[in-house]
Amino acid sequence: MSMISEFLAYPFFQRALISSVIVGILCSYAGCFVIMRRMAFFSDAIAHAAFAGIAAGMLFNIDFSVSSVAVALVIAALIAYLSEKTALSHDTTIGIGFSAAIASGMLIIGALEGYRGDLFAFLFGDILTISLRDILLLSGTGIAVLSTLAFCFKPLLQIAFNKDLAKVEGINVRFFEYLIFLVIALVVTVSLKIVGIILVTSLLIVPAASAKNLASNMRQLFTLSAVFGVVSGIAGLTASVYLNTPSGPTIVLVSIGIFILTLFKRS
Amino acid sequence: MSILSVENLCVKANGHHLIENISFSIKKGNIVAIIGPNGAGKTTLVKAILGLMPVETGSITIFGEPAGKKNYGGRVGYVPQRIEFDRTIPLTVSELLGFSVPPVYSLPLFKNRSEKRHIDWLLRIAGAQGLSQRRIGSLSGGELQRVMIAKAIVNGPEILFLDEPASGVDIEGQEKFYDLVNRLSKDDGLTVILISHDLNIVYRFADNVLCMNRRLICTGRPAEALTDDVIKSVYGEMMGGYIHSCHEHD
Repeated sequence: MSMISEFLAYPFFQRALISSVIVGILCSYAGCFVIMRRMAFFSDAIAHAAFAGIAAGMLFNIDFSVSSVAVALVIAALIAYLSEKTALSHDTTIGIGFSAAIASGMLIIGALEGYRGDLFAFLFGDILTISLRDILLLSGTGIAVLSTLAFCFKPLLQIAFNKDLAKVEGINVRFFEYLIFLVIALVVTVSLKIVGIILVTSLLIVPAASAKNLASNMRQLFTLSAVFGVVSGIAGLTASVYLNTPSGPTIVLVSIGIFILTLFKRS
Repeated sequence: MSILSVENLCVKANGHHLIENISFSIKKGNIVAIIGPNGAGKTTLVKAILGLMPVETGSITIFGEPAGKKNYGGRVGYVPQRIEFDRTIPLTVSELLGFSVPPVYSLPLFKNRSEKRHIDWLLRIAGAQGLSQRRIGSLSGGELQRVMIAKAIVNGPEILFLDEPASGVDIEGQEKFYDLVNRLSKDDGLTVILISHDLNIVYRFADNVLCMNRRLICTGRPAEALTDDVIKSVYGEMMGGYIHSCHEHD
């Protein structure tokens, strides 16, 4: 306990704790839409696109926050466009976007000079290096994303239930399809520094999936998902201090532990 | 007064005509049955009217205005043949109906009293009371159809499109369902466009019938339009005798 009290005195740990709570809420809320729309693979593609964006930022000396969001949005728009305009299945169009993101990311990394350790920080994430600027960016994005999701809750869930019925009821399905892609792209991109590209999809999927195991209505799904997201963040970060393990994977493993417990409760 | 009219409608998919040159109009307050064999384009016709499928040529006028120009909003209700959705979503009947209750842009997790009263009333009308807190994925075929009709009439539509709404529902469930549709039409002046394979239902409930097989074959009151020759040409020789039993039943 004294060890935690000691850590709590450090500004870097306070920032890590605050960011894990914000990301926990943000990812778990967006994650509910991801699991209902079966978009897990999409969020993975967006994470890789953001990585390509970070590499591009390093190559062209652009702020990583800007370049990663920009490339992620371009790939999200490409996937949305292909899904709408072609007869290809959704997983195929995501696969194309995913391949485009990885291939361009690898080309850009190849063009960078020397060894770039900072690039690999984004691959695995490092919550302890979160700056005040990162927290402000996270908070701003969090408020924007959560407000959008709350305001458009009904149409988004109508579309998740059945697109044709939503369209007949007068919902602009096309607009909301692009909107949810944009929201997930933003959430994934701002969460990269916490757990990294490889594990960011876990933060989206696992708390929401755990909540789905227990929830008997939508209110419970969203509430439990947020609780599990925040608990995973705080408990994972605390455990990583005690166990001296990397924080990102520890947070994800705690959320997996919660998921396993919910499986028992469900059965 | 015509609430819906279709002129020379053609719908194509992958280079093949699904509907060719169909024209008809439907009066307000009527129950109109669309019949035809499998692959006749009945569902395509309804989807084209609802803007769910692109139209090749022709025009659709609904509520006196060209279709697709305006958002129909709550003026149109639709119960599809099969509702494809993720049955594992923890979505209750009450929540699903709440999505359609205005205002659209609001957080529906905390319902106000009037919304709750409206949903209870809808479920009672649709004979689905007691299902409010059930998960959508746990409903039987008949229960789901009653909930879907409650959803379709949530905003008091003027036209209701029903695509084989009682398929997969037991006989008692079908009876209840069509009695409900009939009551809504007679009491509230709701126009109903109903796709059905069941000629018995068509004779009992439809004011008019529209028989098609990619093209329009006949239209009119069921007893007058559905002659033995029409039924044979649409469904084959085996159905010839069925028409007489339906008449006698009627």
